[in-house]
Amino acid sequence: MTDIHVTVPKEKWAPVDRGAQDAEFIAAPSLTYWQDVRQRMWRNKPAMASLAFIILLILAAIFGPMLTHHTYYDQDLKLSNIPPIFEVYKTEPTDASAQYMFLNSGNFKLYEVAENGEILGLVRAKRKDLMKKQHIYVFGDAEVRVDYSQLPATLVDGDGNAIESIGYRWNQTNWFGTDSLGRDVLVRQLYGARISLTVAFVAAMVNFFIGVFYGGIAGYFGGNVDNVMMRIVEIIATIPLTLYVILMMVVFQSGFLSIIIAIGSVFWVDMARIVRGQMLSLKNQDYVAAAKTMGASTKRILTRHLLPNTMGPILVTLTLLIPSAIFIESFMSFIGLGVSVPMASWGTLTAEAVETLRAYPHQLFFPAAAISLTMFAFNFLGDGLRDALDPRLRK
Amino acid sequence: MDKQPHMRDDEVLMRVRDLKKHFQVSAGFFGQNPKFLKAVDGVDLDIRRGETLGLVGESGCGKSTLARTLIRLYSPTDGVIEFNGADLAKLKEKDLAPHRRDIQMIFQDPYASLNGRMNVRDLIAEPLEIAGIGDDKSRTARVHELLEVVGLNKDHANRFPHEFSGGQRQRIGIARAIALNPQLVICDEAISALDVSIQAQVVNMLEDLQKELGLTYLFITHDLSMVKHISDRIGVMYLGKLVEIAPNNALYDDPKHPYTRALLASIPIADPVEARKDNQDQMQGEIPSPIDMPSGCRFRTRCPLATDLCAAEEPELKELADNHKVACHYAE
Repeated sequence: MTDIHVTVPKEKWAPVDRGAQDAEFIAAPSLTYWQDVRQRMWRNKPAMASLAFIILLILAAIFGPMLTHHTYYDQDLKLSNIPPIFEVYKTEPTDASAQYMFLNSGNFKLYEVAENGEILGLVRAKRKDLMKKQHIYVFGDAEVRVDYSQLPATLVDGDGNAIESIGYRWNQTNWFGTDSLGRDVLVRQLYGARISLTVAFVAAMVNFFIGVFYGGIAGYFGGNVDNVMMRIVEIIATIPLTLYVILMMVVFQSGFLSIIIAIGSVFWVDMARIVRGQMLSLKNQDYVAAAKTMGASTKRILTRHLLPNTMGPILVTLTLLIPSAIFIESFMSFIGLGVSVPMASWGTLTAEAVETLRAYPHQLFFPAAAISLTMFAFNFLGDGLRDALDPRLRK
Repeated sequence: MDKQPHMRDDEVLMRVRDLKKHFQVSAGFFGQNPKFLKAVDGVDLDIRRGETLGLVGESGCGKSTLARTLIRLYSPTDGVIEFNGADLAKLKEKDLAPHRRDIQMIFQDPYASLNGRMNVRDLIAEPLEIAGIGDDKSRTARVHELLEVVGLNKDHANRFPHEFSGGQRQRIGIARAIALNPQLVICDEAISALDVSIQAQVVNMLEDLQKELGLTYLFITHDLSMVKHISDRIGVMYLGKLVEIAPNNALYDDPKHPYTRALLASIPIADPVEARKDNQDQMQGEIPSPIDMPSGCRFRTRCPLATDLCAAEEPELKELADNHKVACHYAE
């Protein structure tokens, strides 16, 4: 092997600049904390869908009732128990225009509808044949009979032949149908959403402020402060909520106010316990000691170091407490301790629907769906938020 | 190899006298006969300006408690901590504030000592913010400067601690500790959690910083080879007391306390012939509980030289040679 001498001229040498050395480190752009949170949140599809659902629900609860002439208390007994979707039948008398109608198989009543599904009114029977179990309606020279000798009731013509339906139509007058007093279910549902969301909001606020503050203080100071504060929490936690609401109703009359106060004064104890537990373990961390050696105030240590690190469990607890507050309100209303008639909440709607469950199962569907979807949405959102707020999960 | 003191200045920066920190471990029945864990039980120590004072001892001997008491994370039970003309031991939290910036700490676990929710910029800027130095912009500039000083770069400022390796995190912790130009930096096992190769880097950086900024270090460790490398003087602690303190070379060449000899004997020897030799200085038994301490000399239960005198009377820390103090009846 021969030695190879390569001479590089002096002017070709130059110092490597620092940026080039570190190029491999700068693979991903640096993001601020909140940019990062937003990005991770956005990527979480179930959480975003839940957020959209909750926003939609809030908007609908606020503005929905303003956009319709229906009110939650207007009754129309002639149009009671109308389903949201029905089968439309057509009869064509030779001397008059075509008639569209649908049969409410629950109460054997016949309604006149427009072809698109708008309800025009109840049709009076010309005659009722109780022997044959038939109601006879006459449109011009055409005859239509509701035959309920065999259930479910069917629609037959004058000769006893079944009338063919022209298909299903969505109820254009009451999108979600009406209840047993002829009130619009959709509007009542939206009023129910107002109540449930109010309860959720109050529970969340009370939980967050009282629970976090109380638990934070107890956990951070520890010792006797903690002992006394936690015994108080235990006393509050042992009072049964139902009993509490009933006692409140004696004082405040209104069921809704009692529920709000009861949930507000009892629900924060879980949060306080969780925050306290977190504080107890976090306050001995070295970064808290480091903050103390810098001379950080108690307030700073709590707000900059301890609470942000407790945020995950706080959010998870919060999002579990919100649906359970909604559920408690619904439950209380369901057993008759909630809002008073004619005001509607999801719980009272459910209770009313259960009474007519056999004849009109669809009345239960909407409040039940509202309760479950809302609870799902809050749970998904909470999980998503917890993941997004934790920079350790950043990929 | 052994390092010479950077300054021949003998000015005492921190004077500690009879410092005690006892923890109550059980209240007893209705407050009677409470039991105390005497983690630090009468330590006398002078930390000189510009020096590196090493502090060694077994786990549980009270090194970390001493460090945390000196920096007033714990309130001392008794004793004096003289620093900048004030007695830190007696000051209330709010009166401590002006002294806080002069004493800073580098923690053992770089994973636990940085708040994972804050980015590097906020972590390093925090001491500046608390001390009310500068505005947001000038603090950011200072953070960038500090990052360069500890061998990181300013692009790291927006990142979070979990994105860094242990050594890099410890650098962030060091940048935070020196942000306020403190006089005394307490390194509590600051390198024990790092890989050996990284340890050397960090120790060299600490030495460079000391030269540049005129820092004084109290370097606490159980790693005897590292403490030999970095320290000017070394103190040896046993069960809450200082048993020997001497200049670096004196301690390694002529250990006077039997405990120090035992510690030095426990350093593994690379030469198998040497290692096989029976070593008389090897200790027996376990370290006694700091709740029920032996009478007299604390080391007597494990000491090859122990006599009745040791059980009856506790030896005082006496200066036997120049700057070499030992607490043993039989040291000469």
